[in-house]
Order: sequence, then structure tokens, then C-alpha cells
Amino acid sequence: MNSSDNNKKRALGGELVIPVCAIVFTLYYFITIIDSPWTAQVSAFFIGVILLLLSVMFIIRCVLQVRRGEADYSLSRLFSGADIRSGRLALLAVTIGYIIVIDYLGFTITTFLFLFLGMLVLNQWRNKGVIGVLSASMALGGYLLFILAFDTRFPRGPFEIFMKAMLGDGG
Amino acid sequence: MEVDFQQLGEILAHTVGFWWVIVPTIFLGLIVGGIPGFSAANTIIILLPLTLAMDVEVGLVFMVALYSSSRMGAGIPAILVNIPGTAGAAATPLDGYPMTKAGRGQQALAMSFVASTIGGLLTTIMALLAMPILAEVGYYMHSVEMIVVMLFGISLIATIAAKDTLKGLIAGFFGLMIGAIGTDVVYATPRGTFGFLELYDGVPLIPALVGLFAVSEAFLIIEQDSILTKRGRELMRESSWAATFEGAMIALKRWWHIVWTSIIGLIIGVIPGAGASIAAFVAYQQSRTYSKTPERYGTGHPEGLIAPESANNGVTSGTLVPLLVIGIPGGATAAIMLVVMQYHGVNFGPTLFLDQPEIGYGMFMAMLVTYFLMAFTILPLSRYMSRVTMVRTVYLAPMIISFTLVGAFVPREYMFDMYLGLAFGVIGYVARKTGYHVAAILIGVILGPLLETYFLRALKKSDGDILTLFSSDLGNVLWVMLVLSFVAPMVFDRRRKKKAEGKTS
Repeated sequence: MNSSDNNKKRALGGELVIPVCAIVFTLYYFITIIDSPWTAQVSAFFIGVILLLLSVMFIIRCVLQVRRGEADYSLSRLFSGADIRSGRLALLAVTIGYIIVIDYLGFTITTFLFLFLGMLVLNQWRNKGVIGVLSASMALGGYLLFILAFDTRFPRGPFEIFMKAMLGDGG
Repeated sequence: MEVDFQQLGEILAHTVGFWWVIVPTIFLGLIVGGIPGFSAANTIIILLPLTLAMDVEVGLVFMVALYSSSRMGAGIPAILVNIPGTAGAAATPLDGYPMTKAGRGQQALAMSFVASTIGGLLTTIMALLAMPILAEVGYYMHSVEMIVVMLFGISLIATIAAKDTLKGLIAGFFGLMIGAIGTDVVYATPRGTFGFLELYDGVPLIPALVGLFAVSEAFLIIEQDSILTKRGRELMRESSWAATFEGAMIALKRWWHIVWTSIIGLIIGVIPGAGASIAAFVAYQQSRTYSKTPERYGTGHPEGLIAPESANNGVTSGTLVPLLVIGIPGGATAAIMLVVMQYHGVNFGPTLFLDQPEIGYGMFMAMLVTYFLMAFTILPLSRYMSRVTMVRTVYLAPMIISFTLVGAFVPREYMFDMYLGLAFGVIGYVARKTGYHVAAILIGVILGPLLETYFLRALKKSDGDILTLFSSDLGNVLWVMLVLSFVAPMVFDRRRKKKAEGKTS
């Protein structure tokens, strides 16, 4: 089989992720309710068994397609070099960092840092000035609208505490 | 409780005098409705000290205006960036977002505004006139009937699954399984919680919504410079006021569609516990079932956008009926209205309309005036709102992620919910990249727990007799309608094919 044939094959590896996750989760769920009263089991078993059947049917369909040479188990539909080039993986890392840090630095500072880094990563580290101004105005705008005006309980940090001290009870 | 039209006219004129409260509240409602996590209920809770300090009439007008406008606001990001502001707008992007991608975001917004306004106005008038009858709907809708209503919504999964049935059903049932996380409703046994206490109350809706739609969308759109197609960008650059009128006319031409889908919303709205999300899913499913062009749904079909938007706005007026007539709130926002009214010593029931008609009828009038004013304040904005789609994705994606993830934090104030939003984002991303529909997963997550609750209630009442599902007359009528909604598309499809064959031969 030459390379052009391989290119035409459907990459099924990615498509199997959801059914495999569904099977693993359903089995785990069954374990958690095995000793529970029937009220906790009845609908979960009903839905879970159907989900298992559907997932197994899909896996069998995939296996048959691979056997016929129409597909392979490649994950190329899900992961590719473009994920690194487009900055997607870096954005994911920055997002995880955002959730971790926001608990300590609060909404305004963390949102500024996240927007600044996220936009820089996606913009190939260009337009730092524009991105800096945009990030700062978005973060401050969010602070003014959601924290100062609505008193929404966003995660608070040094900036919010400082502003609260400056403005009295307003922040 | 007879309707005195002269009195209604006087109350309407009196309510119009509150325009100075309604107009700014409309804009506030659009903002809070458009950001996931900031529902009308949350905002009213935040502003409760202010609302309680207001005169009772002003406070109620403010809450009603916020409730109605936030419902409309939730559809805006759903159409423009595929992010429903609330669960009630979860069916809106199915056809709204494809229109935006094709450069018809302005038309889509105008369609949505017109459908929402007409749906809201019409159902408010209907609710006013048929209040005594509508108030009794809640009495007839027991667990069994509610199970069938839920199944109407869940059957949308099968509709969505039309392209690849197996994958669609896997997505839907995976959602139902995720929706089953949490303690069971009878004995509070924890199930599938991975040991997280934060999941004992079930999977919170906002992180699921934020993750499946917003976060996954943000990670996907960065593949292109714009969320619009090349042709879409050209159309957006050329678009003028005419596009708003075009969208409005498209909706107005489908006035009958708006009427019957908003009535679905009204009926579901009067049932305590049912909500806008169920109404929107049921309306979309019914709209597609009886459509002459079902194959166009999901590709940017006007009727696929009009149906959920008129239905979820029909819910708003429906929710007021059980609140005012029998003192039972139909949803979270209505429950907060109840608190404010009780604080001011308002009595519920038929006497409310005799003793304090300016409050009883006044709330419906406030809704009527709000919808009327929204038509003039919001519709012209569709041109400017749709410009957000011209923002480059390198700027748009981080903004979507940060503001929606924080939105996931707001309802319960758990950091856990932000992580959960990200986890759903990963699931949504994988699902979208590999051809599974995230809307099918979300339908399962939203409706699964409700279905289980009603199912267990029905079984407990009947000592585990499964035949109780077919024990009520109304329930059986609904079962027949459900079966019909499955059979009808097949019959229509066969007829269409025969007609097409007849034409070709």
C-alpha cells in the first residue's frame, strides 16, 4: 500500500476517545452504585447499559472499517503539529495556569496576565503594545462592571483588596 | 377572575410610565443574560437589597424587565460566538451560529429579536386572558406527564443524531450518564462523583454549558483568523441596515411558526419546575418534526432559530401564572420575585387581582411594555452587535475563555467549578474535533437529572409499578403525541420522496 492510500484512510483513533471514555465512566459509575438502593440504580443502569451497547457497537464498526482497510487508528484528527504551531497547547497551559493563579491573585490581575499571555501566544509574540492595552482595559472593565458595580463575588486578590481600601466599601 | 379591559388599559398606561426603569434595565438584562453564569436570578439576588428598598411596583417592574431582557440577551452570544448565555438558549446556536459563520449574523440577531419580541408579547397577552385555565395546567402535570415532556426534549438527541445516528446517540447517552452524577433523589446515595463533594448536588449546569460550548469553541476558532468564512467576511463588510430589515422580515413571514412555538413555551412555562431549556429543546424538536425542510435544520435554517427563541421567551410569561395565581414559583427568578412580593406583604391568588390589580395585572403589563420597548431599543443594535464576529480569533479566544470560566465560578463560588468548566471544555473539544455533537451531550446533562427525578417519583408513588407511566389520560395523550412526533417525519419524508419521484418521472 502506498502513501497516497494511507492518506485517504479515515483516522478513527480520535473518534474512539468519546466511546472509550463513556465505557470507562459507565463501568466506574456502576461500581459506585453496586451496593446502593434500587432508587439509585434503576435509571443509571438503564442509561448505562444502552450507552455501553452503543459504544461497543461503534467500536465494532471501527474495527471492521480498519479490517477492510478503509480506516486506521491514527489520532491525527485530534492531535497534529498545528496544535503547537497555532499556539493551542500553549493556550491550554496558560488556561490551566489562569485557574490555579486566580485563587491567589484575584480576578483583575490574573485576567490581565491571562489575556496578555494568551493573546501574545496566539499572535506569535507580536503587537505587544496593543495586546497590553487591550488586556488591561478588558481586565479593568471586568473589575468595574462585575466587582465594583454589581459586587459579584469574583475571586478577590491584592488588587481588589487594595481598591476596596481606597474606595471604602465600594469594592 | 374576569378580565376588565378598561381596567387593563388603565394599568397598561400606568405601567408605561415606568419606562425610565424599564429601558436601562433592558440593557442590564442583555449584559447579564449574555454572560454565562450571570442569569437574571443571580443579578436580582445581588441587587436584592436595592429591590427591597424600592417601592413594590418599581421593584417588580425592574425584576420583570430584567427577567425578560436577560432571556433575549442569552441568545446574542449563542448566535454570534456559539456560546449560550443560559441553558434556555442552548438550542439557539444550532441554527443561529451557522448563519453567523456565513456572514448573516446581523440577520440572525434580527430574526431572534423579532421572534423573541413577538413570542413574548403574544404569550403575555395569552397569559393575561387565559390565566385561570393556565393556572390549572400545573395541577394536571404530574410526574408521569412530566416524564413524557422530558422525553420530547431528549428525543432531540435522535434528531441531532441524524447525520451519524450511532455517534449522536453515544453523545446523548454520555450526556445523560454525566447528568446522573450526584446523589440519588430518594436516599441521597453518592453516585459517580469521583469522591468530589462538589458533585454531590449533581453536575452544575453553568460549568457544563461554559465548557462544552464556550471553552471548546475558543480552542477551535483559533485554527482560523476569523470565525467567519471568507464569503461571510465579505458579506459582513458589505452589510448595512438592510440586513436588519431582511432578518426581521424573514421572521415576520414565519409569524405562524413564532405563534405555535411560543405557545409551547407558554405551556411549559406554567409548569412549576420545567424551564426555558426544556421549552427550547421541545420547540426545536417539534419545529423540525413538522417542517417541510427538516434536512436544512442545523445548517442555518431560520425556523431552527425562531423556534427556540420564541419558545424560551414564551416561558417568561408562563412562569408568572403559577406565581401570581397560586403562589408557586415556576423557576428561580420567579422564586426571588415571590420573596420580594412577600416582603412587601403582597397576597397571592385570585384576590391579588381584585385587591391589588396594579400588581397582579401590572406584572404582565410590565412584561408587555418591556417586550414592546425591546423591539425598538435592541433591534437597531443588531448591526453593531454582529460586528463582534469581525474581531480576530487571536483576541477573541482568550476573552471568551477568561470571562466564561469566571462565569462558571459565580453561581456556587467554588474554584472547583472553573476546573470542571475546563474539563467539559476538553470533552467538548474532543467531541467537536471527532464529529460528536456537543448539544446532544448538553441535552443529556440538562434533562437527564430532571427525567430521573420524575421517573423515581412516579415509581415511588406506584410502589415500583412501571405501568404507572401509562396510568393517566393526559399522560397517554402525550405518549401518543410523542410517538407521532417520531413517526410523522418518516411519513413526511416518504411523501416528499414520492412527490420528487413523481416530478422526475
